[in-house]
Amino acid sequence: MIPRPRLLLGATFAALAAALACSDMVSPTRSTRYDWRLIVDYDSAGPRRDTLSFHWPRNRLPVRIWVEDSLQLPSRVREGIALWKGALLYGEWDGVIVSDSATADVIVRLTQPPPQIPIRLAGRVLSCAGATDVDTATTRFELAVPVRAYVFPTIPGAADLTQCLRTVAAHELGHTLGLFQHSSDSLDLMFSEPTAQFLTERDVGTITNAYHLTADMIPVGP
Amino acid sequence: MRIPSTTLALALLIPAALAGQARYGLTLGATGGTRLVTDRIFQDIEVTQGLAPTVTLSASLPVSERERGGIEVALGFGKTRIKESGFPTVDGPDFKTLSITGGVQGPIISTLGWRFGAGLLKYLPDKEGIFRSGGPLLLILSGGADYRLPIGGPVGVVARLRYDYQRFNTDELQSSGFGRTQDVHRLGLGLGIEYQRP
Repeated sequence: MIPRPRLLLGATFAALAAALACSDMVSPTRSTRYDWRLIVDYDSAGPRRDTLSFHWPRNRLPVRIWVEDSLQLPSRVREGIALWKGALLYGEWDGVIVSDSATADVIVRLTQPPPQIPIRLAGRVLSCAGATDVDTATTRFELAVPVRAYVFPTIPGAADLTQCLRTVAAHELGHTLGLFQHSSDSLDLMFSEPTAQFLTERDVGTITNAYHLTADMIPVGP
Repeated sequence: MRIPSTTLALALLIPAALAGQARYGLTLGATGGTRLVTDRIFQDIEVTQGLAPTVTLSASLPVSERERGGIEVALGFGKTRIKESGFPTVDGPDFKTLSITGGVQGPIISTLGWRFGAGLLKYLPDKEGIFRSGGPLLLILSGGADYRLPIGGPVGVVARLRYDYQRFNTDELQSSGFGRTQDVHRLGLGLGIEYQRP
């Protein structure tokens, strides 16, 4: 037979645990966001418009990023990777810089983009600019890989060039993650003329939503 | 305040006498637990914990004829799994826990004993995700049983069952806007050795 004081101690412990055991975590609403989806006009017995979401599937992670090694652009892109990766709680996206562009999912060049392709997301700051080309391949449900992004100085040697490249590289990286529209808020990193050095609550809310909405597009290639 | 010399002598002599019966243990085992996080972003998301290899160090001294008081320090290395409706279940971030509990233990029958305790647990910072900044110090309540098998001399084998309860949260979850805490119940099994000074 168990002595009474021990029984009392056990009962007290059980009662205390039972009294405390009634709490579940409450998740945030995450309604602070802008639209990020790709809008595609197409023709199917008349003009039609489709709004498509994309995010890198888990089996493609980490996304392999090749960066032109000039003006310390790889360091700027690494900072961008850390910024976006840090915005996501559950390891939804990850990126790694690779040395061979032939195996890359994303290619970032330090040059002006070639002549216009159908879908180009361009951003510009005072001393540098950037662009990301989105190629939906043969159908609008495929994203042709590698995705090509461009970051380039517009005022070579400008005092704020490093900061500008950091901001624009992170902005273009945001497009390659699947944010295919610009924010209308000038404080957001994904504003068309970005000046933000960090992600705002709206940027974080948007990327979080993008990675938990079932994707309409899949990456194809290389 | 004046302390009578006999009280002082007793206070100095008793721990020395008890130290002669100190018991130390080292166990290796695994700890599993209930879900850590429930979230909803379009679909329901659950972060669960896989079995975490756990190392436990313990020390105890007699506090009465039958009961002993002691501490247990446990280090666990866990992995999370993320289940989201409509998405494949995937591995989530790793985590490490460090806990220290003080408790009382005593015999139930023969070589089987009980233990109740309370203490603190911390999720240590990890590379990414919900454990990136680690967690606050959490209060844990624990209970369990030990089965001891003397193998000769001052050394014995011990099998250990432990349950604990905590209100889980991390700094990263708090800064991401998560409210309240998640009740987490863990159960661990371990096998190890104990040494009791004769």
